[in-house]
Amino acid sequence: MKTIKCGSSIAYGIALVAIILALPGRLPGQTAAPKSSGGNGASATRWSVQVDQVDPGNLGLAYSFQIAIYENLVAELKKTKQFQQVLRDGDLKASEVPNLLVLKTTVEKYTPGGETRRAVTTVSGATKLTVRSQLLTREGKVVLERTVNGDVRFFGSNLRATHNLARNIAKTIKQSSWAGSQEPTATISGQL
Amino acid sequence: MNYFVVARNHRDDYSTSRLVVRLFALLISCSLIVPAQNTAERHDGSAPFGIRATHLLGFENAKSNCSGTLSFQDNLLQFQQTGKTNAHIKIGSVRDVFLGEESRQVGGLPLTLGKAAAPYGGGRVVSLLSHKKYDTLTLRYVDSDGGIHGAILQLAKGQGERVKNELIAQGVTINSRQDQSTKESATEARHENN
Repeated sequence: MKTIKCGSSIAYGIALVAIILALPGRLPGQTAAPKSSGGNGASATRWSVQVDQVDPGNLGLAYSFQIAIYENLVAELKKTKQFQQVLRDGDLKASEVPNLLVLKTTVEKYTPGGETRRAVTTVSGATKLTVRSQLLTREGKVVLERTVNGDVRFFGSNLRATHNLARNIAKTIKQSSWAGSQEPTATISGQL
Repeated sequence: MNYFVVARNHRDDYSTSRLVVRLFALLISCSLIVPAQNTAERHDGSAPFGIRATHLLGFENAKSNCSGTLSFQDNLLQFQQTGKTNAHIKIGSVRDVFLGEESRQVGGLPLTLGKAAAPYGGGRVVSLLSHKKYDTLTLRYVDSDGGIHGAILQLAKGQGERVKNELIAQGVTINSRQDQSTKESATEARHENN
């Protein structure tokens, strides 16, 4: 009788060890599946993006703002993990990347504000930026075109507007319907 | 005789005290001269260049909005974050340097909270007085793959020109767009002050 009990407890123990060993193997697989399928679960093809320098247009946008938009865009696009690689303008590696999109940013409207004005009046002194963001293929075909705003109204320095703008652009790209699709065929345009 | 001796002793005491006063004066003047000489050495071209700066964005391995020291060493432009490792770029990789002006509120979060708590709009009056002008130094540089990077540093008023001149002295060529951008920055600063 004792031998039977001992045998069953050993069997339970073996089963328990087997379950414990099998479980960690399964979990990474479960988490890996959504990663490979992309945002909409459409395909395994992952695109890379090259961020172009900001085109200030004819507006008197300070160079520090142009650089801040560019740097914040690179950082925010990396954060989204939507793209396989986020490359900078002029990067020589871009020619070797197979699925490459180019992000062009053109400043359409710029309202200079002031931190002191914001602090004193509360209602005025907001720094506002409106840009047109375009995602293009290597051949120059526009796959996504959006007008995006970024501003700072109450607290923070003027450069904070560039951070907010870059975050909005990254969010727009992430939420757009082309994201994750194998072939960027449809042209999507609109305003955020 | 005794009177003469006493009188002479008084004179000796007086001259000793005068000597002590003179020595003190000499010491004080020396202590004033030595820092002045040190400052002069800093401006000298051969001495290492170091300047207090706030890193706003751009340098890798350096946090945004952190204070540190900007210096030039062995063809490198270094930003040494206080008590941490330094971030650096090769001076030869710098393509453009742009100067600008910015006015910012001082005091940080504590003063902001204090201003918000002040009654009868007192905080607004404090805001009107508690701003300071800074120079912003924008650098455009390239990495080893040719990718373009940008960095923005905030310096005390007047220091931006010093860094720019030092960069030019180290061989950095500045594009013609510089003048236009400086004008733009000045326009923005004017806007801000209105």
